[in-house]
Amino acid sequence: MELSDQLKQTLDALKEQFPNGLSVLMPALHAVQAAHNHIPAELEQPLAAYLAIPAEIVHEVSTFYFMFNNRPVGRHHIYICGNLSCWLRGAETLRDHLADRLGIQPGETTADGRITLSVVECLGMCDHAPVMLLDGEFHPDLTVETVDRILAGLS
Amino acid sequence: MDKFTVTINGHTIEAKPGQSVLQTALDNGIHIPHYCFHPGLPVAGNCRMCLVEIEGVPKLQIACGTTVRDGMVVWSNNDRVRQAVRHVLEFLLINHPVDCPVCDQAGECGLQDYYMLVGRYDSRFAENKVVKHKKATPIGRWVMLDQERCILCSRCVRFTREITKTNEMAIFNRGDHAEIDVFPGGELRNRYSANIVDICPVGALTCRDFRFRCRVWYLKQAPSICPGCARGCNIAIHFNPERPHHAGGRRVLRFKPRPNPHVNAFWLCDDGRYSYPFIDDHRLRFAALREEGGVRQLYLKDALDRLADWLRASRSGRTAYLLSADSSNEELFAARKLLRDALGVRCLLPDTGLRTGDADDFLICEDKHPNTRGARILFGLGENDPVAPDRLEAGLGAELPELLLVNRADLPSPLRDKLLAAGTRLVFLGTNDNATAAAAHLVVPLVVFAEQAGTFTNFEGRVQKFELAVPPLGDAAPEWSVHQGLAERLGIDLAFPGPAAIFRQLTAEVDAFRGLSHESLTPHGAMIRHE
Repeated sequence: MELSDQLKQTLDALKEQFPNGLSVLMPALHAVQAAHNHIPAELEQPLAAYLAIPAEIVHEVSTFYFMFNNRPVGRHHIYICGNLSCWLRGAETLRDHLADRLGIQPGETTADGRITLSVVECLGMCDHAPVMLLDGEFHPDLTVETVDRILAGLS
Repeated sequence: MDKFTVTINGHTIEAKPGQSVLQTALDNGIHIPHYCFHPGLPVAGNCRMCLVEIEGVPKLQIACGTTVRDGMVVWSNNDRVRQAVRHVLEFLLINHPVDCPVCDQAGECGLQDYYMLVGRYDSRFAENKVVKHKKATPIGRWVMLDQERCILCSRCVRFTREITKTNEMAIFNRGDHAEIDVFPGGELRNRYSANIVDICPVGALTCRDFRFRCRVWYLKQAPSICPGCARGCNIAIHFNPERPHHAGGRRVLRFKPRPNPHVNAFWLCDDGRYSYPFIDDHRLRFAALREEGGVRQLYLKDALDRLADWLRASRSGRTAYLLSADSSNEELFAARKLLRDALGVRCLLPDTGLRTGDADDFLICEDKHPNTRGARILFGLGENDPVAPDRLEAGLGAELPELLLVNRADLPSPLRDKLLAAGTRLVFLGTNDNATAAAAHLVVPLVVFAEQAGTFTNFEGRVQKFELAVPPLGDAAPEWSVHQGLAERLGIDLAFPGPAAIFRQLTAEVDAFRGLSHESLTPHGAMIRHE
């Protein structure tokens, strides 16, 4: 598997904004994920070669951050917080409710490839616990009802 | 200001500005527990074991990441520090399997050592441990990985990033799922890979060659010099005198690097490290004489009688000696005194593994012998030496020698056949069996470097001492004592009471070595005077 020409153009533009290959790695991984839905394992070596950095470091970074997916994910990606504040305010119930409604366990994707459910660490909105992040947007002060409404609105 | 004082645990000691508290303590014999710190690697500060109390600083600080200041007062042994380190160790052990009975690191493990020092002894951890992916998985020719024993000190990662610059080791995933590994589908691809076994403070990286051969507490050590190339890396020979049934009867089980800032820092290449089996495998133990009807084993003294007769009988100028760059300075000097000076024998250094073309810009030298420089100096070898195999015949003189003494080398087979056909008496002095030994008329068994004391001169001219590790096998003798025995039989006055005395005589007679003594070679060797 190779980097597409379009992706290379994006990477070239990014490289100009950063002093070296290591510093451009995070935005570069975001670009790969935007183009490929996740970070395909076979692209880590081509990306490392393109940025002139060790492939081991690319794999370190892509496995470290939860926002980089190492496996294919659905069209919609729900990150529900499982940390202390949200947990005290009922995140566990919401997690189980989401899992029931979608028929999957956290970390899995629905069979039709529509929705992925992930439990993550703190999203930084403890004052509106419990929260979840859906396709880049925060949903604060969740209840079972609001979760159902949000799910119903998904394509 | 070049120097000032700090006080550690009540001892006031002199410190160098810019040095860390930990290094200052270690240099002065004060041990502060640590895992991630290694003097040959950049500071990472991630294991938190070296926490110390510094007066005037409210929180405990890591000694590896704190620079000394004039008048600093440091405590590493008070209750507050002990308690904090005990908690750090408890955390490090949370996901550790504590499988010491089946772990090859047991006996030289940092976790065991510090557990005895500051461990809790009663575990408070009731939850399930996080089990890592890889157990006993080879990640290269020499290294075995057990992720669950890892404490993520990152020494191996820093070694492959900073020392070999090959980047193979990395930490993947996050938090309690973090694990060291090579890139998926990859493996270690540097020639210094086994150093990560040495620097791993726990049993996460073990040596595929050594594991389960012998428990480390049976091993004894002798300081020595790696014979694998002309670099002369400082090593410790680990041998097993009391459990000969382990490891198939091999006495020497591994080489470990010994620090020398002028030569190898803390490291050793894989080629040198795993060259050790020649000490026990395919050794020549007894003298052998080829006669009509076969080969007969004989006592060394009888072999020397025979060789002395042959030396006496050979006409002047018709004896040649192929010396070896594997011999110590002392052995070479004895050969020079007897063969070259007293008997006028033509001495040549054959090129066997001297110009291999295999070298790198770190430790590995092209010349695969430990003492070529010593041989060059002691025999005054010039431009045409060493002699390449195809020029060896010409180097032996216009006529083929009547008597040829070969030290360790394996002659090219066409030359060997030609010599035998021409009626040359072929005498092999050597340590290990080879085709030349098998074809020789007389075989004299020699000891290897690990079976005697002596010195090598490395390619830069650094003279370094090695000690006896294991006793000689069978009748094998040091080369200098063979020359001494021959001198006695030939009525030549050469008194060599032992390698130390030979070295003294050598330093008195050979300009390049003048002024050196065994004392001056401790601990890091000493340079010859430049020719």
